[in-house]
Formats: sequence, C-alpha cells, structure tokens
Amino acid sequence: MLSILLWLPLAFGLVALLVPAYRAWVVALIGSVATLVIAAVMAIGFDGSGGLQYVEKTPWIPDLGISYALGVDGISIFLVLLTALAWVPAVAFAASRRAGGDRERLFYFMLLLGETATLGAFLAQDLILFVVFFDLMIVPFYFLFGIWGTDREGITAGAATVKMLIFTLIGSLLMVVGAVSVGAFAGEPGTGLTYYIPDLIERGLGESYQNWIFWLFAAAFFVKMPAFPLHGWMPDAYRAAPLPALAVFSAVLSKVGAYGFLRVVLPIMPDAAELFQTAILIFAVASIIYGSVVAFTKLDLRLIIGFSSIAQLGFITLGIFALDETGANGALFQMVNHGLVVVPAILIVGLLAERFGTENIGPMGGLAKRAPILAVIFLIATMATLALPGSPNFIGEFLILNGVFQTDVAIAIVASSGVALAAYYALRMYQRTMHNPLPDGADDREISLRDGLIVVPMLLVVVILAFAPQIVLSDTAVAVEQAVAAFTEVTR
Amino acid sequence: MSAAIWGWLVLLFPLLGSIVIGLTFRSVSDRTAGRIGVAAILLSFLAGIGALVALQGEPSDARYATSSLWDYASVGDLEVDLGIYVDPLAVFMVLVVTGVSTLIHIYSFSYMQSDQGYHRFFSYLNFFVFSMLLLVLAGNFVLLIVGWAFVGFASYALISFWFRRSTATRAGMKAFVINVVGDIGLVLAAILIFRELGVLDYRAVFEKAPEVFSTNEWTIVAICLLLLVGAFAKSAQMPFHTWLADAMEGPTPVSSLIHAATMVTAGVYLVARSWTLFELAPSAADVAAIVGLVTLLVAGTIALVVTDLKRIIAYSTMSQIGYMFVAVGIGAYSAGMFHLMTHAFFKALLFMAAGSVIAAMANIQNIDRMKGFEKALPFTATMLVIGSLALAGFPGTSGWFSKDEIIDFALYRGDWYFWVAVGCYIGAFMTALYSFRIIFRILPGKPCPEAEHLIETGHVVHAEPENPVTGQPEDYEVGYPGEEHHIAEQARGMRFGMAMLGVLALIGGFVQIPGVTEVIAHFLEPTFEGSPLAAMHPSVGKAWLGLVIGGLIAIVGIAVAWVLWVGRPSIPEAARRRFRPLYVLFLNKWYGDEIIDFLIVRPVLALGRFADRIIEPYVAGGLVSGTTYLVRSAGVAVRDLQTGMLRSYAAVMVAGVVGIGLYFLIRSI
Repeated sequence: MLSILLWLPLAFGLVALLVPAYRAWVVALIGSVATLVIAAVMAIGFDGSGGLQYVEKTPWIPDLGISYALGVDGISIFLVLLTALAWVPAVAFAASRRAGGDRERLFYFMLLLGETATLGAFLAQDLILFVVFFDLMIVPFYFLFGIWGTDREGITAGAATVKMLIFTLIGSLLMVVGAVSVGAFAGEPGTGLTYYIPDLIERGLGESYQNWIFWLFAAAFFVKMPAFPLHGWMPDAYRAAPLPALAVFSAVLSKVGAYGFLRVVLPIMPDAAELFQTAILIFAVASIIYGSVVAFTKLDLRLIIGFSSIAQLGFITLGIFALDETGANGALFQMVNHGLVVVPAILIVGLLAERFGTENIGPMGGLAKRAPILAVIFLIATMATLALPGSPNFIGEFLILNGVFQTDVAIAIVASSGVALAAYYALRMYQRTMHNPLPDGADDREISLRDGLIVVPMLLVVVILAFAPQIVLSDTAVAVEQAVAAFTEVTR
Repeated sequence: MSAAIWGWLVLLFPLLGSIVIGLTFRSVSDRTAGRIGVAAILLSFLAGIGALVALQGEPSDARYATSSLWDYASVGDLEVDLGIYVDPLAVFMVLVVTGVSTLIHIYSFSYMQSDQGYHRFFSYLNFFVFSMLLLVLAGNFVLLIVGWAFVGFASYALISFWFRRSTATRAGMKAFVINVVGDIGLVLAAILIFRELGVLDYRAVFEKAPEVFSTNEWTIVAICLLLLVGAFAKSAQMPFHTWLADAMEGPTPVSSLIHAATMVTAGVYLVARSWTLFELAPSAADVAAIVGLVTLLVAGTIALVVTDLKRIIAYSTMSQIGYMFVAVGIGAYSAGMFHLMTHAFFKALLFMAAGSVIAAMANIQNIDRMKGFEKALPFTATMLVIGSLALAGFPGTSGWFSKDEIIDFALYRGDWYFWVAVGCYIGAFMTALYSFRIIFRILPGKPCPEAEHLIETGHVVHAEPENPVTGQPEDYEVGYPGEEHHIAEQARGMRFGMAMLGVLALIGGFVQIPGVTEVIAHFLEPTFEGSPLAAMHPSVGKAWLGLVIGGLIAIVGIAVAWVLWVGRPSIPEAARRRFRPLYVLFLNKWYGDEIIDFLIVRPVLALGRFADRIIEPYVAGGLVSGTTYLVRSAGVAVRDLQTGMLRSYAAVMVAGVVGIGLYFLIRSI
C-alpha cells in the first residue's frame, strides 16, 4: 500500500508528460487527489497504539545492507497526510493560474515528482533510502524555482536557485557521509551491514561516533529548515519561487529536516543529542528571535512568511530538543499546524498580488470592506500563525514550552518572548493588507468561489483541530514516546 | 437540569449567535441580525439564571459542577479536558456579564443602526460574550487561557472596528500585543503549576497546592506573579495600562461593554478564582494590592486633566479596577466582586451617556467644546448624573456600598493596610472630583453651538468628520459612526438600555448593606470556603462608620468640583500654572507610552533593523557568497553549473529515480 502511495504521484506525473499540454493539469489534479485519498485511507486504518505499520521491506542492495523499507508510525503519519493534503491546493492553484506557462507538462511532472520524493523521505525506514529521497526532493524544486521562478531586483531566479542548491547540496553531502558511517559503525564489528532504521536503533552507535556524526545530520537538517544562521539561501529562493511550488516547499520540505531529528538523530544518537542539547536549544532560540525581528522589518509578504517560518521552526527544534515527551509531541504537532497554515497563507499572497499588483505590503490595505470573506480567511490564517490560544498552534507551542520549561527554564522564558514578537509581525501583515485606507487603483474584489475552494479546506482542518487537537496527539503519542524513550529513562 | 448543562447552554447561545450572524451577512437584514444578537445574549442570561437556580438547590458544600466534553490535549502526564467548572463565582460572573451585555446589545441595536458593518459588529460582539463566558466558566488553566486570548482577540477586532482609520488599527495592535504579553504570563504560570503539581484542573490544583507549597515559597510566589502579569495586562493595571485609553477608538458600546464593564475586570476575577494560590503567596497578593493602589491613584490624576470625554471615563475605569485589585489583594474577595458588579452598572451607563453626547457633538469628544447639555439632552444628562454619583460613591448609590466595603476591609486588617485605605480615600476624593468635572463642564451653562442646534431643530449637527488625531477625513465606507447618527435619547433601545442601567446603578448596592443584607457575600461563600481572610468581617458598626467617611469624602469632593468648575473657574487655571510640571506629567499620562516605547519597542525594532542590515547581508548572506566563492574558485564556474553539467546530472538522477520507482511500483502491485 505504501508503495502505491509513494509512487502514485510520480506515475501521474509521467502521464502528465504524455497528454496534451492543456490537459496536464487535469492529470496532475487527479493524481494529487488520488494520493490524498490513499493517504486518508491509510490514516483511517492506522492504529494509534501500535508501532511501525504498513511495513514493506525488500532487499535492495543486499551486500551493503540497504533495503527498500517503507513504513509509517505516529511520527510520520500526519506528515504524510499533510504532504498529500498540501499538494492538492498547490496543484489546483497552479492550474488556475496556468503557472506552468508554455511548459505545463514538465511543470506538473516536476511538482508531482516533488511529492513522491517528499513522501519517500517520510516513509523511508532505511537510512540510505531516506537520504536518497531527501536529496531527490531538491531536484524538482531546483527546476521549479529556476525555470518557472521570477527574476527579482538584483538576482535572477536561476542564480537564487543555484544559491539554494549549493547550500542544500553541501548539507546533503555531509549527511551522506553521516548516513554511511552510521551503518558502518553501528553495533558490534563483524555483524554485517544494515541500514534498516529499527535495526540501527537496536544495534546502537558508539558514543564517540555519535558526537561527530550528529553534526553531519544536524547540518543537513538545519540548512533544510532553515535555521539561523544557515538560512542565507532562503530569502532569494522564496522571492524567486513560483507560489504553488513555494507553498508546498515551505509547508512540507522544511518539516523534513525537523522530522529527520525525530526519526534518525534522537533514536540513533541519543548520547550526542543529550550532550549537545543546550547548544541546539540556544540555536533554536536564536532562530526564534532572529526570524521574528527580521520579519518585523520586511515589507515583502514572502519574506515575512519566510522569516516567520524560521521562527516557527525554531520553536519546533526547541520542542524536539527538550528531549521529553510533551516537547516532542508539541513539536510534531506544530509541524503539522505550520504546514496547514502556511499553504493558505502563501496562496493568499498570490491573491493579494493579483489585487494590488505587488507583493509588498507598503502599498496595500483596506481590502476588508469589499472582500470580507477573503479578510476572514486571512484573519484565521493570521491568528493561527501567531498561535492565538484556541488555535491548534497554541497547543503546539504550549506543549513545546512546557517541555522546554522542564529542561531549561531560562530558555523557555526567552523563547516565550517569541510569542509576543509573532503577534506583532503576523498582525502587522494582516492589518497592512486588510485594514487601513484602500490605496488608489487597487482592485478590491472578493475572493472567487474557485479560489475559496482552493484555500479554505486546509483552514477548515485548522478549525477542526482547534476544537480537538487530541485527534492528532492521541495518534502521535506512542511513537514519540519511543523516540524520546532513551532520554526519559536517563532523567528518571 | 444540572448546573453543568446550564453552563454549556450559557456558552452555546452566544457562540451560535456569532456564527449565524457572521455567516448570513449577505442573506439576512441588519435588523434581523441585531435581533439574533440580542436574543442570543438574552438566552445566555436566562441559562445563567438556570445555573443559579440549579446551584442554589444543592447543599452549600456541593455547590459546584464540573463537566467535560472531550479530551482536549493530553500528552504523557499532562491532561487537559474541554471542561467547564460551574460554581458560585462563575455563575456570579456569568450573570453580570450576560446581564450587562444584554442591555448593551439592546443599546447597540439602535446605536449602530447607521453603520455599514452591522453584521460584523454583532458577530464580534456575540463572539466577545462567548469568549468572556468561556473565560469565567473554564474548568482548567488551559481553557482559561483560551478564553483569555479570545476576549483579547474580540477586543482587538472591535477596537479596530472602523478599520480604515489608522488610529483605530494602531490602537488595536497595541491592545493586542500588550494582551499577548499578558497571555504569556498566564502560559508560563500554567506550565509552572503543571511542573509543580502535575495537574491543571482548577479543583485539583486548588486541592493540591496547600499540600505541596509552603507559604511564600518562591515557586508559588512566581506562579502568582506570572498570573498577575496576565491579570494586569488584561485589566490595564500599571505598567500594562497604556492600551486602554487608546482602545477608546472603538465604537462607544464596545468601550462600554468590553473596556469598562466586563473584559477589563477579568484580571480581578482571575485573582479571586485563584485565591487559594494567592493566600499561599501573600507577598504576591500584596503586589496585587499595591499595584492596584498605585494604578488607582495615577489613573485618578490623569482623569483630572485629560479633556477627551471617553478617555476620562477610561482612566476612571483603570482607577476603579485598581480598587478591585486592592480588594482581592487584601482578601476582600466578595467586596471586590461586589464592586466589579456595581462598576459594571455605572460605568456601562456612563459610557452610554457619553456616547449620546458625543453623537450630538458630531463625534467631537473634547469636553472643552461641550456646554449646556442639560437642556439639549435632558434624559442623557440625568443618566450622566446618576452614573457620576455612583462612580463618586455618593451615599445610597451602588458605588458607595461597594467601594467603601473594600476600604473598610483594609482598615479592618490594620497594619500597613491602613495606608492602603488612606490611599483609597485619596483616590475616592479624586474620583468625586473628576466625575463631577465632567458633569459641571458639559451639563450647565449656555449651550454650545451643537447643543443649541439640537435644542432648536431636534437634529444632530451634520459635520464632515475628520480624525481628531491625524486630521484625515473619516471613511464612511466602513461606517465611521455613520452619516445619520441617531440621538441616543430618541431611540427606544438606547433609552431602555440606559434607563435599566441607571436604575441598577442607583439601587444595585442594596443587595449588600452592612447589617441588613449580604446577598453577594453569602452567595459567593462556597467558592471562598476555607479562606481565613474571607471569613473575616469588620463589625457592622465599623462598616457603617466607613460608609459615613466615604460618603462625606464623596460629598466634599463633589462640592469642591462645583467650586472649581462652576463657582470659581479661575482656580483650575491658576493651579495649572502654579503646578505646571505636575500638570504636564498628568497630561502626558505619566509618560507611560514613552517609557514602554523607549524600553521595549525601540530596542526590538533596532534589533530588527540591525539584523536586517548587518547580519542578513554579511553573516547569513556571507555564508552563501563565501560558499559560492569556494565553489567558484574550485574551478567550477557557477554559470556552467547552471546551464550545463548540473542539469544533465539532475536529469540523470530524475531518470534513475523514475526507473527505480516504476520497478517497485510494479512489484508492489
């Protein structure tokens, strides 16, 4: 079942290459919806109290112990669902805007290839397979940003993409080295190679190895998130990217890094995680504060969202490295929440740009009068972004702060100031677009039914989760408990 | 029906009302929407009475009910239900909130009639009431925070209701951000409570706390101080008070309901609710009392000099909430709640009457311009006088009984609380002064042109309104009060709302007369069961002595006000010149805005600019260019990367993955 889920988007992508260009979007949309349906079926059949499920395992390169192993557990299930969910509005938005230009078939192929790669990263239970998908993810986005991106003042889309690529590649190379070493050094010498993650966890990795391999993985993950100060590629890439691709990129790809910590680093390298805990926590807090204060100064909506994502991922990192159950659960929940909110937010940037002719909030304002529905939609996204208590994001943050507080009170208090900063930059974004006087020449029409259908469903999920965050939390609990088991035993 | 079910119904009606009004903004007429809004709150009030009856039917040691809908967020040891807790304190708050809200909704029904955002207004207003009720009915600290933040959001939405006025949006932002700071205080308090006690449900926390904490242990003091951060921010106590005056940018019914009668008293409710914790941390309780005292004095001085009608009343609100904090800080819980109730009556009334005057002035709010309204608006004038009498604590009015009960208790506790009582008396004198400053300046005398016009034609002066701060013309599109604004007195709904509150402001105090009745103290008893402070009562004689002193101070204050603003108007002018530095200090609101701006806003913005201009290009960007340079110097030209090899590599990789993928896909099928 997981194989079908994994390769289905790619299969549709291939079909999209073969049909007439003006039909490509239909194929892509059907593909993404079909993927979502399968993911939903899988999620319904998922047993929240069980471990790894729907496992598929076949030897791939037996001599090296590499297998084609897929499976889902509480850590990945909702990220898989989020991925499948995020791609649908992205494809629909691309279709509605003809984002593929004169190369539509290739556009949708790349977009769907990206979905397969991302799903692969979440589903892989073999470390090498994980690395392969992790690296593969960047390829379609390299093309999507480079070919269909927008040239900006001072930097072409191509150059921005290369910047991103170089950064990510360096991270990835380090991780390849790390992954190979994990297999090589895990367990007693002479037991034969394996890269199956559950086996690796069981075998354990010597502490001296952990201490340097940890940083190889951390580098790759922090670049991907991105985290301060490794985010240098982000501003240009965000500004260049075509919006539908950026929506899924920001919603899902950034989570793969955080996910990697929970899936690989914490279980396989618990000693190193504990040793470097404080250092990582400080980095995470730096990301929160830095992302927030820079978001203050930006006028470009994409950059406000981009830097706010740095801050949000700082919170997520914080929760993971609280190394306890509530923090990690909060982090995982927050990954889902951020993904759910950021897709509509980025697509709304597109709607605003169509109305004001710019993505800069300077000359925007006053939409709420003639476009009250659009305003309410954006208001919900804003309130979730700033984690208003009552939103699912608040529960995520509450659990994260609760986790960190048990570990390090000072860090928790500094991090909590990020909540107030978020209130300012998020509300500023809302006010400067929807409130204040309407500028001359702006087109203040209401959101169309079609665009509403694209943007609203993910926010509906947010609203549902606001009433019952436990829907997610009850399924993640068991797996997260296992992921942080090593630490809770030590501390108790 | 059990009290818990009534409790859920209390919550349900306003929530439904808000959603229905919000969703039907295109299909349902304004009047219907307004009716739905009023009906929802009225039903909620009736359900509150149902809860009251159900509770009173229980023996006093079982006078509470808990109920949970479902598991809200539980991870590991943390358990949070979507649950409510109905006890006398909660029911008391429910009745005050829904009761006053009903009247203000009826008032708004007419007041907002000429406004374009009618649906939006009632949807927000119902949502506010829902949030406030969630705040008081929540069964645990997490849900309390949710209600707490929701009222903050509703307050934001209504402050910036006329959202094309830049002053309104800026005021909304300020209120929101300061309230978020308060929310953080509550969040940290809840986390600390959980760490120490392992529970977050009210009953469990209050049962466990005395077992775990010893008196004034630093953790419990920290918890209480963090709770106070939330309480002070929400209730506009120093140093978190600066948002309240700006919040007057909202429509007047909003000022009346949210920024006077209900939301801003939430902090007082919180301290009363957590009395178990505060009695374990007497130092923190003292902080509450001292901050309340300082705030009531400072706000009183500001109210004496500012000239904006709504802002005078806003500072008076701050000051009165200061009294409530003194009350709950020194342990006079039921007196604090009593004052909360009477204040809700007379302050809501004052705002409504002020709204009527402001409408007649074509939205001019400066009292220097107002004169002679006793003839132009006789009904409003009566209401203003009633409200001011109650506010000043004139003998017999509701404010007299409630305020002086607080001061009596401070005197009764003796020790340094004596000086708290003295401070409260000074505050009471100022209250009488500033409340009758309003009366004597705008009611008597030769009518100003606007009042004259009203007397002659029976219509409001038409003016092209402009924003008094920025001078921008107002945008009628978002209905800034509207072109054909009604005169409060002539619309039945507004008259009704004001009259009801007027009656309550006059006689609302009779429920608790020392030696005669003590309805509120008795009703709230089960909530404060076990508190040694709540069990203390000054004797009836002392209580009456206190009332006499308080009454005298009020009368003297009113008399002095008459001398200052009617008898000898030259005195205030002379005093202003003589004590110029003080006058300037008060007029600038003790520079609260400037201090926060200097200490917090500027440093944060400077940090942002520094990060943007220095760290971004040179550190974060530097890493990128440095890497690019390395790659380039390794002999691989970036241009080639872009156009040549890299693309072919990537293409090969894509092809490979496609092949592998197809292989496994076929195998798995």
